[in-house]
Amino acid sequence: MNAPRPPTEQEKFGRHRPLTDRDAHEINRVEELSYDLKIHEIIAAEVVAIAPDAPLSDALDLLRLHRISGLPVVDEENLVGIISVEDILRALQNGEIHLPVKNYMSADPVSVRASDSIVEAIKIFTETGLGRLPVLNENKRLIGIITKGDITRGILRAVQHDYQEEEVRRYRASHLFEDIVSDRTTLVLRYAIQAGDFTHGGNASANIKRALLRLGANPQLARRCGIAAYEAEMNLIIHTAKGGVLKLEVESNEIVISAADDGPGIEDIQKVLQPGYSTASDQIRAMGFGAGMGLVNIQRTVDAMELKSAPGKGSKLIMRIAMSADDKKGAL
Amino acid sequence: MNLRDVIAISKGEILTPQLSADAEIFSGCCADLMSDVLAYSRPQAVLLTGLINPQVVRTAQVADVRAIVFAHDKQPPPETLAIAVQENIFLIRSPMSMYELSGKLYAAGLRSCDADERA
Amino acid sequence: MNLQHVIDALQLSVLTEARDFSAISPSGGYASDLLSCVMAGTKKGALWITLQAHMNIVAVAALTEVAAIVITENAQPESAVIAKADEQNVILLSTPKTSYEICGALWEIGFR
Repeated sequence: MNAPRPPTEQEKFGRHRPLTDRDAHEINRVEELSYDLKIHEIIAAEVVAIAPDAPLSDALDLLRLHRISGLPVVDEENLVGIISVEDILRALQNGEIHLPVKNYMSADPVSVRASDSIVEAIKIFTETGLGRLPVLNENKRLIGIITKGDITRGILRAVQHDYQEEEVRRYRASHLFEDIVSDRTTLVLRYAIQAGDFTHGGNASANIKRALLRLGANPQLARRCGIAAYEAEMNLIIHTAKGGVLKLEVESNEIVISAADDGPGIEDIQKVLQPGYSTASDQIRAMGFGAGMGLVNIQRTVDAMELKSAPGKGSKLIMRIAMSADDKKGAL
Repeated sequence: MNLRDVIAISKGEILTPQLSADAEIFSGCCADLMSDVLAYSRPQAVLLTGLINPQVVRTAQVADVRAIVFAHDKQPPPETLAIAVQENIFLIRSPMSMYELSGKLYAAGLRSCDADERA
Repeated sequence: MNLQHVIDALQLSVLTEARDFSAISPSGGYASDLLSCVMAGTKKGALWITLQAHMNIVAVAALTEVAAIVITENAQPESAVIAKADEQNVILLSTPKTSYEICGALWEIGFR
């Protein structure tokens, strides 16, 4: 036979594959929750307890009645022990079920504080193999019992709550317009774009796309707006002296995106509209921009594009995207 | 093609272990020009590129690109990784060239972004 | 496999002057739109796949001695670019297909 060797990962954890990324992601959230959630938030409101001088047969009745497997033993509000089904079984075997609880209970039980994170309880469960822990308040009074089942249920509830919150956020955004009565409601999002700020290049467009999705736009519409906005945003970063303003206006039947700057302006508008025409430096080309395709791209993506410019003064690019009934599922 | 197949074929290293690799990839796009990605990529595509700056991820996000493979083992800066994790765009680093990546993924059945219609 | 086979198999259009393409045997493929990467990475005699169509690609191709440039997605070089390519003996080929698809097709017909 082989010489003894340390167990493999698979033997230790009983897994046939390493953690997947999804597992890891979900575990992360659960881990987060185990720090966020406090013990008092997840335990049952009522606590069943028994006095140390009560007979073990009473304890057995209480366990049966409440379908639980252990009871805290309380003497004048002070926790003095825990009595479990196993303890009572021992008493039964010994024919001593008539004796008081204190003879068979585990004294000085490990407890947790109500204000602790549930991770504290998880640690103790893992280290000791115990199945239930008494929960004490700041005055060391017993206020409840925590079990592994409480932790599972508490985390499940919180995860469900997370999910509902995002739903609510989406719902609120997508019903924004219904609550506002006016002859013409317009939503305007405005972003200041700095010249040369490649680090944040694309952030405004990313936000525009996200906002449209939250408002209930269909993904294709949000993508088209994002693409047009992104090209316009990069143009402001690459080609202007002082940056400019990127603006998104959501109207009832169209979306208007505009990019305005105050210089340097365009000498020959026909020329900049030619595919491949570019004045970008090699440095900008090395970043993957400035291939002279930006305006061409915008033209293909939007329904109407208008470029106005006065050399020395500035430029304004207006892009219009029509919305069909199919595009607006929510507010849009 | 599953994203896990892309990782295997590209002999890639996962740069965003926080993100799920359970995704379906519908097409491939090989480009270093961001306008090109915006113009021709289709939703749920994998982008094969030699660029590693944060704008690549921004572009991917706007264009609904699902995953990016950086060719020639180029290591993107932390900003690139941070945006990718935030926007759920899977990043892979591969020792292969863009040509080899395209060839192998194409041979494995992953079609081009404009195979059916231009996006 | 020679360049004439490639042109036929991939249905490439020839932008520069006609010549005996069957005398040229490309050594492999290289895809990049970044000129600096091409300068650093491509091998002599390879087919360079890019959608860049501006003047600089001719200089880079001449310098690196690639067999030909395959310009993808119908990007149209200006006539000055084509004239320069003829002058420098650089072959320009063109296709409506994407870079990804051309790489895939070249890989499939055996260019590794």
